[in-house]
Amino acid sequence: MRILNLNNIIAYFKLHSRAYFRSKGSIFFQLAFPIILMIIFGAIFGGSSTAPTQLVIQNESPSQISWEIVNAINDTGIFKVKILNENSSINSYISDNSVSAALLIPKNFTQNFAMNGSASLIFTGIGNPQEEQQEYQILNNVVTSMNYKIEGKNPSLVLKSDYISQQSLKEVDFYVPGLIGFTILNSMFAMIYQVPNYRKDRIFRQLSFSGISKGEWVISTALFNFLLTVLSDAILVIIAYTLFGASLNFTILTSLVTLVILFSGMLLFIGIGILAGMVSDNEETVSVIGNLIIFPMMFLSGVFFPLAFAPSYVKTISDFLPLTYFINSLNDMLIYKNYSVLELEVPILIVFSIAIFLISVKLFKWNE
Amino acid sequence: MDNKVIKVTNLVKKYGDFIAVNGISFDISRGEVFSLLGPNGAGKTTTVEILEGIRKKTSGEVIILNEDPENNRKLIGVVGILPQDFNFLWNSTPMDALNFYKKALGSKGDIRELLEKVEIYDKRDVPFQKLSGGQKQKLGLAIAMLNEPEVLFLDEPTSGLDPKARRNIWKVIETLKKEGRSILLTTHYLEEAEILADRVAIMNHGQIIDTGTPMEIIERHHNKDRLIIRAPQSISQSLKKVGFVGNYSDGYLEIELSESRDAAKIINYLVDENLSFEDFTLKRESLEDVFVRMVGDEDIESE
Ligand SMILES: Nc1ncnc2c1ncn2[C@@H]1O[C@H](COP(=O)(O)OP(=O)(O)OP(=O)(O)O)[C@@H](O)[C@H]1O
Ligand SMILES: [Mg+2]
Repeated sequence: MRILNLNNIIAYFKLHSRAYFRSKGSIFFQLAFPIILMIIFGAIFGGSSTAPTQLVIQNESPSQISWEIVNAINDTGIFKVKILNENSSINSYISDNSVSAALLIPKNFTQNFAMNGSASLIFTGIGNPQEEQQEYQILNNVVTSMNYKIEGKNPSLVLKSDYISQQSLKEVDFYVPGLIGFTILNSMFAMIYQVPNYRKDRIFRQLSFSGISKGEWVISTALFNFLLTVLSDAILVIIAYTLFGASLNFTILTSLVTLVILFSGMLLFIGIGILAGMVSDNEETVSVIGNLIIFPMMFLSGVFFPLAFAPSYVKTISDFLPLTYFINSLNDMLIYKNYSVLELEVPILIVFSIAIFLISVKLFKWNE
Repeated sequence: MDNKVIKVTNLVKKYGDFIAVNGISFDISRGEVFSLLGPNGAGKTTTVEILEGIRKKTSGEVIILNEDPENNRKLIGVVGILPQDFNFLWNSTPMDALNFYKKALGSKGDIRELLEKVEIYDKRDVPFQKLSGGQKQKLGLAIAMLNEPEVLFLDEPTSGLDPKARRNIWKVIETLKKEGRSILLTTHYLEEAEILADRVAIMNHGQIIDTGTPMEIIERHHNKDRLIIRAPQSISQSLKKVGFVGNYSDGYLEIELSESRDAAKIINYLVDENLSFEDFTLKRESLEDVFVRMVGDEDIESE
């Protein structure tokens, strides 16, 4: 591949942005879109959630009594219970998966209970203090009622809280990262529609007469879409803060990482957009393929609702959708202050995105 | 120095089993306007696009300014291209478009001068989709001309335009010709080729049937010339005696000439014999008449 020429990238950037900003409609939608989404989400999720919470339980002291407690919790139907493997560390599981509710039955539980008739369980997790309270209440009720059921001694099971509260998180904080993730799809929309149309209308042919290469065209278009995405995300965040009182973990580091995530997401989705655009040769296939790619991502990547409560097959599908990983990384960093994503997930996303991007540019042809 | 800016030898292009261009050869000299004339589907655009380097040939040899055009970046900007169905970005103005090409090609052309030359300076800020067909075509021509290219490929520059717009474009092409640029022009319009082209090649079913100046082509393929004399009917009898038989009707005698110089013989005879006649014309087939017969009139696009 020829070395990219910055002059050509700038020339096309100017041409493209001037044409774009001449269309008042597209500017309006670009800027109004995040506002509309925020308002809709504010309305839908403004109230409290009634969906069951996932509860991670680690039983370090397996015994009849400890399993009875687990069963009792399960029987409430309020929680979706996930039993953690004995060997894994609950604390690292919590931080790696940003678990918002977990119950630890400590090692000495059975022994303490047998000897003293009293023992404590530990409620832990990270996240929203409002939810924490609710979940603590429910669990505490279960534990207290166990006290009455157990016969013989005068048992006293105590639920202690070891909850890691974030600075007062609001509802809005839980959907802003998802919406930011969603705006990454912008550049993919642009490509899915532009590539086949520019090929059909022979605009690529006309552009090639200027000497700019397809690589320069893609980079230029990508940069333009990236800046637009950053602009709408900035608006989205500003609205989240001013109108809905958001308090996300935006530091210099996390803001920069968010930009990096947006940028690599954009490369990835431009790549996917180009590949999809290459296989669609008429207007109908363009929209079919576009919808085929966009809808699953919208609903199954955790943009609109967290997947913790979704059936397992949905989670399996979601595991195959790249957007899921972008949104999870943003969630971990911006909501749960979990920086471990920077070590593994984010670098993998960047490498993966660049690879897909390069492959798509390589396969993509301007002419015949 | 080689005076040929374009050399094409045995060029073949197949689309699957279909042979769109079937072994054609021609060359174009510096400063020459060469026209490929042919009906729809003759293979003109295919040929031109191979010469522009945006389509792969199946076999044969193509040399443009001593370069093989296929994937050759050296020719970008040195060759100016107006493609058939020129199209540009939605919402881009002529000014934006030319600024883009100017920057990308690093050319020094004066955009205003160029827009004035093609007479769309007043439309410089109108979005592309709001330009008329002729204005779009003129923008395409301006883009092709921007870098003052030595060689221009103009694929049907005037198709679909009204006669006035067509003449506007002819004027621009004539200026280019005067500036000594070499032009490959494809067209359906015989008149256009006759006016602009130094040489034409008649193309049909992927082959070149004949090449030459429009006059040469007519010369080689025309049917017999006809002499038409306005005179009284008696003249018909007089000429029959000396061996010239014609049809008389409505005051005109029309004689098919086996040789063009017979026209002189007939007129001389009439003058010598003092036979009165009003006037006469010598009719020769036009390039169009010849063309239609050569390519068979089954698939000529009507104007
Ligand atoms: N990409 C392609 N794939 C298959 N066949 C093609 C392709 N492009 C052109 N053809 C065929 O090749 C033949 C020549 O096409 P071409 O466009 O060169 O004709 P043309 O002389 O330019 O016609 P027109 O005057 O209509 O522009 C046509 O029969 C056309 O159907
Ligand atoms: Mg054509």
